[in-house]
Amino acid sequence: MTRRRPPDPLPLSTQKPVDEDVQRELAQHIEFRTEELMAEGWTAEAARAEALRAFGDVATIADECREITVRDRRSRRRDEWFGALIHDVRFAFRILRRSPAFTLGAVLTLALGIGANTAIFSVVNGVLLRPLPYDHPEQLVRVFETSERGGASDLAEPNFDDWRAQARSFDGMAAYGSDVGTLLGADIPSRVRSTAVSADFFRLMRVQPVMGRLPAPDEFAVGAPPVAVVSYRFWQDRLGGTRDLADRRLRSEYDFQVVGVLPQGFGFPDESDLWFPIELFGRNESRTAHNYSAVARLKPGLTPLDADRELDALTEPMRAQYLPDFDAVGATVIPLRELEAGPLREPLFLLLGASGLLLLAACTNLASSMLVRGSARAHELAIRAAIGAGRGRLVRQVFTESMLIALLGCAAGLVVAQVVERGLLLLAPAGMVPIEGAPFDLRVLGFSLLLTLLTAALFGLLPAMRMSGVRPATAMREGTRHSGSRKSRRLWSTLVAVEVALAVMLLCGSGLLLRSFAAITRIDPGFRAEGVITALLDLPDAGYPDVQQAVAFHDRLLAALADAPGVVAAGVTNQLPLEGNQPSGAIQVEGKPTLPAGPFTGYAIYRTASPRYFEAMGIPLLAGRPFNDRDRAGAPRVVIVTKGLAEREWPGEDPIGKHFRVYGMDGGEEPYGTVIGVVADIPQGAITDARREAYWYPYSQNPYRTRSMKLVVRTAGDPAALAPMLSKMVHDIDPTLPLEFRTMEERLASTIADRRFTMVVLASFAVVALLLAALGIYGVVSYTVAQRTREIGIRIALGAEPTRVQRLVQGGAMAVIGTGIVVGGVGAVVGTRVMRALLYGVEPGDAATFGVAVGLLLLVGFLASWWPARRSAGIDPVRAIQAE
Amino acid sequence: MAHPPMTLLKGTLDVLILKTLGWGPSHGYAISRWIQQSTGDELQIEEGALYPALRRLEEKGLLESAWQTTPTGREAKVYTLTAAGRRQLKAEVTAWSRYVSAMTRALEARPTGAIA
Amino acid sequence: MPDELDLLQGTLDVLVLRALSHGPRHGYAIAQWIQDNSDGTFRILDGALYTSLHRMEEKGWAEAEWGTSERGKRARFYELTPAGRAELQLRTTRWERYVNAVAHVMAAPAPA
Repeated sequence: MTRRRPPDPLPLSTQKPVDEDVQRELAQHIEFRTEELMAEGWTAEAARAEALRAFGDVATIADECREITVRDRRSRRRDEWFGALIHDVRFAFRILRRSPAFTLGAVLTLALGIGANTAIFSVVNGVLLRPLPYDHPEQLVRVFETSERGGASDLAEPNFDDWRAQARSFDGMAAYGSDVGTLLGADIPSRVRSTAVSADFFRLMRVQPVMGRLPAPDEFAVGAPPVAVVSYRFWQDRLGGTRDLADRRLRSEYDFQVVGVLPQGFGFPDESDLWFPIELFGRNESRTAHNYSAVARLKPGLTPLDADRELDALTEPMRAQYLPDFDAVGATVIPLRELEAGPLREPLFLLLGASGLLLLAACTNLASSMLVRGSARAHELAIRAAIGAGRGRLVRQVFTESMLIALLGCAAGLVVAQVVERGLLLLAPAGMVPIEGAPFDLRVLGFSLLLTLLTAALFGLLPAMRMSGVRPATAMREGTRHSGSRKSRRLWSTLVAVEVALAVMLLCGSGLLLRSFAAITRIDPGFRAEGVITALLDLPDAGYPDVQQAVAFHDRLLAALADAPGVVAAGVTNQLPLEGNQPSGAIQVEGKPTLPAGPFTGYAIYRTASPRYFEAMGIPLLAGRPFNDRDRAGAPRVVIVTKGLAEREWPGEDPIGKHFRVYGMDGGEEPYGTVIGVVADIPQGAITDARREAYWYPYSQNPYRTRSMKLVVRTAGDPAALAPMLSKMVHDIDPTLPLEFRTMEERLASTIADRRFTMVVLASFAVVALLLAALGIYGVVSYTVAQRTREIGIRIALGAEPTRVQRLVQGGAMAVIGTGIVVGGVGAVVGTRVMRALLYGVEPGDAATFGVAVGLLLLVGFLASWWPARRSAGIDPVRAIQAE
Repeated sequence: MAHPPMTLLKGTLDVLILKTLGWGPSHGYAISRWIQQSTGDELQIEEGALYPALRRLEEKGLLESAWQTTPTGREAKVYTLTAAGRRQLKAEVTAWSRYVSAMTRALEARPTGAIA
Repeated sequence: MPDELDLLQGTLDVLVLRALSHGPRHGYAIAQWIQDNSDGTFRILDGALYTSLHRMEEKGWAEAEWGTSERGKRARFYELTPAGRAELQLRTTRWERYVNAVAHVMAAPAPA
């Protein structure tokens, strides 16, 4: 075996190019030979020919030389790099194996940090970053009218037409209306989301049928025969993937001829399964009836803001022209992505930020333990420096250790992430994370690798620099006492303070969410959810062509339920509490002046209900009487109002006996109804929303919406246990109705599920951060005590009280913790501002919450430093001094 | 020349190069000339073959090279034996001697153990 | 104990010819002979030995015949032809010249 050549004095790249070197040498040989032959008397020409002949094939030989050199250099460079790397890695492994506790702790700390981040990121990736399944989705926006009251509402039909005709920002603008209804004609009756769309819709979404055709232009016309296209999924699952659409007819409100199938994956909006021309709905020329949802495609290069401004400008003359039949003051244009991400968007970004803080805490923790180790190893490193290892080499060695820990942590972190993510998906509110969840794709893997590198740089580089900066002579003389140097201690203090600050921030954030959640659970919803089970009764137009048939259905069902065992009370309503805020409709209150906007006196939410609905839902009647069986069609018209509506319309008066009616829809021209009862305010949408004024008609007197009602049953025992019986009773009347039961408690829980999700995740981050801070404090204080044993021993020998020494040590630690708390508190005041939208009943920067967080940290900090500091008091001066 | 020159056996060239450089640094042309002269032109070396051999030896760390100005004022790539090269030369000379003596013994051996 | 040496290409033929010059032998005996008579200096790869024997047969320097070995096994025996003897002569001389030439270099004093 030949010996390895000593390294080149110059980097290889600065050496002469191989090619030139070879050529020159060979040419010279031939030149020498030629000259010699000429000296012997050959002619120049003959000499050169002879020289070439004697030499052999110059090109081949040159190639061979080049090949040898290049191959060798390449493999040597690789060998050297790899050799050093392998050496470093082996060495790092040995070092880490020598202190398994440290290694395990470090890897686990990192696994938590990286795992949490990876899990959150994979959800973010799945929910927020995944491209929408449309062509150039970034160009797609939703368009809303900005109402006088500042909200965003759907578009009135003439307004949509005007904007569409005039706006230059869009490459197309389409109207749609989407609803879930019962559909007949497929394999079984089922509830399907169907969407009415305007003619531009398919062109705008850039979707082409995979089979059949789209509705033709002349089918987008009032009075045209109804045609529809279906989703790929619907075609496969419900139509059996038939190639023959010719007589596939589907019935809901209309009798559709299916003409085409859209490609797999397309389901805008909200996983719709059926699309048909919006003209089937007829026209409503009112500019205050907000019937159209609108989607538009921006022209390339334009932003939503550009479109927003343009539409605002277009609105002004329209408003001037059409008042009072006009209630928009401008437009709101929102990227589709933001809306599709749903309610998890803000919490997820918050959690991503929080998990970043957690990782930072983990890094800080590791950096300080690396420093502690570093000082313990100062002696070893000093010796290695003394025998000639360069500073760069030592940095690399120490950094390799960090990198190795980080990679191990990353590997463990990926496992942790899988577990955490599964937990997240379980915890996450249903429907907010896509069914397929958040796949671990390359982006997630890249993210966690990037984190690992960053992490290693964060916790590894600083200690590496410090450790290698040790001056050999000092360290060897001082032995391990070197770590006592003021500079190292200052660095540690900073790291501990950072950990404390991060924990404070996370604690404050999760404290605020906790208080919000507590406040929400304390809200009186205005109804009693326990014991209540609900189901949607969606009577298809096809089966109930006359709305009176639907009234008869409900009458029959409620009569049967009245005597059913286990049923305390049963009722129906068109809309349950918490089901969603519908825009208020106009009302006319007898004797009140009309508004400038039209011949009505105000707005309120309009509902219908059966006689015992309020009892079944547990909505307390505050005055008057509930509906009863005599409040039927033909009897005097009656109405029940919420307390809020009564106070608004008849302040200081008895509302019972007052008259008002709905305006502009559902029998608005019929006689005024008389207020017979007042009930509590109940949340129509989210439980945290302001309670809006509402009123109810008996469904039998106002039957327009009776085809879609919700059954509400208050039960004596477990509500879910009653579902089979209820199901049978419904199917006794109409066996084709699809039924799905949900208890009111489930509905209530699901409305706050996203909050609970955010709170639980953030709180667990905070707990981990607190734990890390405690470990950090404990580690550094106990190490300091161990390092200062001699000094403390001398102090005690000189007469210092052991308890005083203990106080001194702990005082130092508490000062550091205090600094961290102050910094973290300031960070929290600033940081929690971004949470404002997620809070309820508590302000960002809430003093009480912060006080608790600070108190908790002080307590934990005190305990974590008290334990090791106590040891300083027990130091035996004689042994401490002799131990050196 | 009574006999045609013999082709150099593979492996011998390396020894010859090392040996030549054992006397002192030299450039490629000088090495090839010297080998030919000292073997009395008995061994035929394709001159070009010298150069890949030089490179191999250099990459093995047995030689070092540098461009230098020759006494005649020309730039030439001059090869020097390294310490490792010297050790290698010694080992090669020993091996060669053993080889030759073994061959000689075999060629001069009495007929033994032959099956008649 | 000195290491075994690889045979330089070309010299194997001389050794084989030489081994056969004392009478017919089978392959294994040839290898044995070479090893014994070089004090174990040469390591002979069986493959190389048999390619060499085949080459000689082809060139007409040796003839082969099946026979029975001293242990009673059937073996292929090689015998030198007159052409083979002439070749041995030629090769031996050439080898000696070669050794001398190399020795010249090895023993040569440093050039002036």
